[in-house]
Amino acid sequence: MHEATLAENILEIALEAAEQNRATKIFAVGLTLGEMAGVEVEALTLSFDVLKKNTPADNAELKIKRVPIQATCSKCGKSFRLANYNFFCPECDGILILESGRELLVDFVDCE
Amino acid sequence: MRNILGANDEIAAQNRKIFSKRGVVVMNLMGSPGSGKTTLLEKTLARLADKIKIAVIEGDLFTAKDAERIERAGVEVIQINTAGGCHLDAPMIQKACASLNLAEIDLLIVENVGNLVCPAEFDIGENFKAVVLSITEGDDKPLKYPLIFKESAVTLLNKIDLLPFTNFDLQAAREDLTTLHPTTKIFETSCTTGVGLDEWCAWLLGKVAR
Repeated sequence: MHEATLAENILEIALEAAEQNRATKIFAVGLTLGEMAGVEVEALTLSFDVLKKNTPADNAELKIKRVPIQATCSKCGKSFRLANYNFFCPECDGILILESGRELLVDFVDCE
Repeated sequence: MRNILGANDEIAAQNRKIFSKRGVVVMNLMGSPGSGKTTLLEKTLARLADKIKIAVIEGDLFTAKDAERIERAGVEVIQINTAGGCHLDAPMIQKACASLNLAEIDLLIVENVGNLVCPAEFDIGENFKAVVLSITEGDDKPLKYPLIFKESAVTLLNKIDLLPFTNFDLQAAREDLTTLHPTTKIFETSCTTGVGLDEWCAWLLGKVAR
């Protein structure tokens, strides 16, 4: 249940962005979450909805974009989208290096 | 674009820099509650404490039970109680390290809160992560909790002496661990029979000597 910690950090980043832009209302917070980042979206949303009360993010919605797990072969250089966590190259005897799928990012803060 | 764990990662980077400057190797030891992390740690300390200077940080939700066990091994130990928190983070380690004389320590072992999910996500500034998976937890865990096994340099298949009494498929578990993390190191250990402990300790000692 580290989603509460993540939600706290997201809210902090959003409030900071609003303050910097002299905004008083936050409408949406855009997130990019990798499919291999250990995040339970439902728990994250629930935590965020509890924490945002009585802040400028009171009505803010989380807009979440998931990023698939993508890895590149260290030998043949080909890139693959992984389905079952197999990090052996399907085309040669190389090993796949994770390129994306671990993202935990705040993309944008929509505020006014 | 901002990293949600940016604040933690910044402190982790500071920790890592201090550890490197003081010549301390740091292992983040993770695994489920009851997988045998503390017992493994006791056995490891018994084998290595006269060879290198080791200190331990114990992470638990409540109680100092684990720290008391480690203290009996004659090793300096600091207990962190997360009071419900499911993982240790970089600021907690930074705070705990303030009361350690790092320059005197070769190996700092951080026993994380028992959990296969959250600890994998939080960098504490360690050199490498290790995960303990006990036989009774089942062979399906590596693919159910891929991140922690992907992040760990080494997996200990612990309580291996119980293998005949379970339906744990050792070959399947090894295959899953290897496809998930092709360069991972796997040890089969039992703290009851002592099997695999010498090999594990030799590997760990090699990490410190390097």
